[in-house]
Amino acid sequence: MIATLLNADWGRWKAAPVSRQKKDALFELACRMALIAEAVRADDGSGRKRANSLAAAAKAERRKTLAFGLDILAEGGDAESLDQAFDLDPVFRDLDAGTRLELGMVRKGLLSMIAREHPFINLRRTTAFLGPEYYEKAGAWMLERIKRRKRKSQPLLVPGEMPDVVRSLASESGGHERGLGLERAMRAGGRSLASAALAGCPQESIDLAAPVFGSLGGAILADDALWLRGRLSSEEISQAQSAFTDIVQGLSDGGELALNGEEELYGDPDFIAEITRVVLGMDEKPLKTFLRNVEARLLAMAMQGMEPEAHERILGLLTKKEQRNVLDALDAMILLPRREIEDAGRAFARGLITAIERLLPTASSSDSMEKLTQIRDWQRAETAG
Amino acid sequence: MIRWSAELSRRMTCGDEDKRALGPLLRRLVELSRKSRREGFQALEAEIAAIEDPLFKIGLRLVGEGLAGEPLEDILCTYLLTSDEKGWPFLRACVTIEGLLALAEGDEPALMVRKLVAYYGADRALAALQELEASAP
Repeated sequence: MIATLLNADWGRWKAAPVSRQKKDALFELACRMALIAEAVRADDGSGRKRANSLAAAAKAERRKTLAFGLDILAEGGDAESLDQAFDLDPVFRDLDAGTRLELGMVRKGLLSMIAREHPFINLRRTTAFLGPEYYEKAGAWMLERIKRRKRKSQPLLVPGEMPDVVRSLASESGGHERGLGLERAMRAGGRSLASAALAGCPQESIDLAAPVFGSLGGAILADDALWLRGRLSSEEISQAQSAFTDIVQGLSDGGELALNGEEELYGDPDFIAEITRVVLGMDEKPLKTFLRNVEARLLAMAMQGMEPEAHERILGLLTKKEQRNVLDALDAMILLPRREIEDAGRAFARGLITAIERLLPTASSSDSMEKLTQIRDWQRAETAG
Repeated sequence: MIRWSAELSRRMTCGDEDKRALGPLLRRLVELSRKSRREGFQALEAEIAAIEDPLFKIGLRLVGEGLAGEPLEDILCTYLLTSDEKGWPFLRACVTIEGLLALAEGDEPALMVRKLVAYYGADRALAALQELEASAP
């Protein structure tokens, strides 16, 4: 049985017509709430900035119900304090239908803001109070917002097989509709997991995944992925990606996916682990020297085959400008097949060996040198036999 | 714990004939579930034009947009609560919402149908299940 209906306060929704004029005004209010939700979400990095943003919105708002609610949130109010403020039960039942609708709608929009939901979901929740006739109007408003949007790209790539997984699922056609595998995996994992996993992927993966949910749902997914990119650690993104690939593997094992090029999906974990260990264990001097001379594109290619910790160490040894060059190269890069990533890893190892031989000739028999030599001469598992 | 709401129960109350009239809706929901599993949710887009019930139509669009779970339930229930329906239209709307939630969760059609026949009431549920399974392609 539907929990929302079991818990509903039916007394609030006694039948009473609300004028079209009032509903139009409430639609405008719902759109304003969605815009405030968007601004507040963008300022989410710091509590103070968020509070200031809410306080400014409260001050600018002409509708008392919304201004009052925003003020509660600006003062640090949570869902419970909002409920207390809006749950004026004895009074509520005597209010006219339009005001009851407004209170219910504003409360719902504010709760959605507290939950940091996407503004479009906020708008879907609030405009539902106005009835089905406002559904299309809300959709048109959202599409217009998408058109006018300027997205700021924040490059971050968490290495792993996720981009390959997305690409392979998107091109899946064995016995199914093209892209059906990607849709199945994303729906099985749920929107939150998909967004978190995509947060560490290049734009290409997001562009492949977003159409699964249509133009509006896709825009929400892409926004959420970019929003989470600035909020989750590389470790958290990495965990989400592992969970997603586990789901894919589970669906594949259950016969629900017919993946193309399965060997491309899962990289050689030994190669990734080995090159990561080398980067983490390497003396700073030769590593830094090598990194500052290596071409950004080659470095970006090799980094696709390393764990997040190695990624962070490399970026930490570069100047801001060099970091930007590498991140731009990562962002612009078309995802490479695993074979090419491993080729780049071997070239990376060759370059490092040269740097060590030049800077630390006595270290040529060290542990790092041995590992680098192993990587340079790495053979794919299936060909090494 | 078994949860019950007197008001919900009162609103859903309708006769046996009305409950029998739910059959086509249940079959439609199960067909959509099968189609989505076979061809994906994008394939359901083509079905939307043929649906007249605004709640069903909106719900199917929201599922297509990737909504599921609490937000989907909340949005659809808000439409229902503010419409102040009673009797058969209310029961039909509840079945629609339950079916759409199951569809969004990717429930197997067999599980979906078991969730939906519960709305017939204990005395009619089993017979309705047998009827539906007998008419399944």
